[in-house]
This record gives sequence, C-alpha cells and structure tokens, in this order.
Amino acid sequence: MEYKKVCFMYRHKDYAIDGIRSALGLAVENMYSYGVVMDTEIDELDELTQESIEMLRDMEGDVYSTVPANVEKNGFEAITIEELGEKLREMTHIIPYGIK
Amino acid sequence: MKILNVYQSEPDETVQKLVQIVTRDREQDSFDLHAENPDYDTLVDKIFAADQTICWW
Amino acid sequence: MAKSLGIFVSSPENLQHVIGITKAAKAKGSNVKVFFTWKATTLSKDPAFKSLCEMADDVSICVDSYKKQGFSIDDVPEGLTPKKMATQAQHGIIIEDFDCYLSL
Repeated sequence: MEYKKVCFMYRHKDYAIDGIRSALGLAVENMYSYGVVMDTEIDELDELTQESIEMLRDMEGDVYSTVPANVEKNGFEAITIEELGEKLREMTHIIPYGIK
Repeated sequence: MKILNVYQSEPDETVQKLVQIVTRDREQDSFDLHAENPDYDTLVDKIFAADQTICWW
Repeated sequence: MAKSLGIFVSSPENLQHVIGITKAAKAKGSNVKVFFTWKATTLSKDPAFKSLCEMADDVSICVDSYKKQGFSIDDVPEGLTPKKMATQAQHGIIIEDFDCYLSL
C-alpha cells in the first residue's frame, strides 16, 4: 500500500494553528503529513499546539517555516521557498490552506 | 504526471516560484477561478483530466 | 463512469465556488463529498448551504472548528444531521477514497 503524502501551507496567521491541527488529523489517518508556515510571523504556540506538533513528528510528519522568527520562537524546521517547491514535488496532495 | 493549477487570485511571486518548481518537467494546465463567472463545467473536466490539482490562494 | 470528487474547504470565501463545482460535477454523474473546516464552517450558516447539502452526495463539517467559531454543537446547521458534525477523519476519507481532490 502506498501512503499518501500531504503538505499544508499557511500564509495567514489566523489559519496556521488550526491548519497544523488538520495536518495532525491526517497523520493519525496513516498519512505523511506536513505543515509550512509561510510569509507570516505567528505568536509563540501554546502547550496544546506544541504537543500536537510533537505528536505529528512522532508520526514522521513535521512543521516548517520560511520565516526565521517562527523557527526561533516555535522550533519549526527552517525551509526556503525553493526547498519547499522541491518537497511539494514528492507530495500526493498539496493544500494551500485558508486565505492569504 | 499532469498538474492542474487553479488560481483563486492573480498568482504572486511566491506562488509563481512554487508552480515553476512543482511543474518542472511535468505536463500542466491552469484555470483562473478569480475570473468573472468561472466556467465550472470546464474546471471539473480539467480536474478529472489531471493527476493532481492544486488550488492556490 | 465519472470520477468521484472530494472537496476540502478551509476558506470562508469560497461557498459559491463549492456550489458551482459540485453542481457541474453532479451533472457529469460524479460522486461528490465536501468537508468544511475551521473558519469555513461559518459557511454552514449561509442560506445557500442547504442547497449544497441537497446537491452533493455527502457534506460534513468539523464540529470542533464549528464550536471554536462560537456556535453550539446542538445548533445543527440546516441541511446537516448531528452525524455530519464530524472530525478531520472526513478529510482523510476524501484523500483516501476519492479519485480527485480539490482544496478551496
């Protein structure tokens, strides 16, 4: 069986946290699931969201950001737009989430 | 692998760059959802004909 | 036989597109499932939402998102049943079981 690979991208800060929850929702359905916070700096994450990200990582998913402040503040993996583009090529499903 | 890029607004520089990388060496089609009165019938035909649809913001 | 289509809705600005695409896909004999999440669950209060529920084969919303948007889970939107106030597992079904996928 081939596992699905899904990448969510978030460009609006009001959509990032719930979008990460959606990514976790697919990881528990046995998919490789990733989230990428782009363009926008988000607040420091609460404990519940940090736990969600840890769970996502335990299931071989991850959360990335193109914004250095998010990497520093919230422990996201750093990614450039070029690297993201290459990563998207491996995905079975690409989800530009919410609004920008 | 045929990719359908659907645009909800005029693609900015970031989206253009991602589309360029994702569709490199692949067949592609596009649809402007932000057009006045989009032709949904054509869009559905394009979705059915594609292997993957990406609906950009 | 027409391909099946799953639509994942996360933008609160796209109800008209969801309805237009569902209508076009149904006219081609497609099986259409729609799932609304986060701020897009507010669209379930739009007067046009009920017509989408009648047209599509399956419509559900994320009940947790709906609650976070300030609605009571007992306030079931017109066109849905309590069973359709669901979880992100519905998104998983769309990805796994449907031929074509669209996020809006």
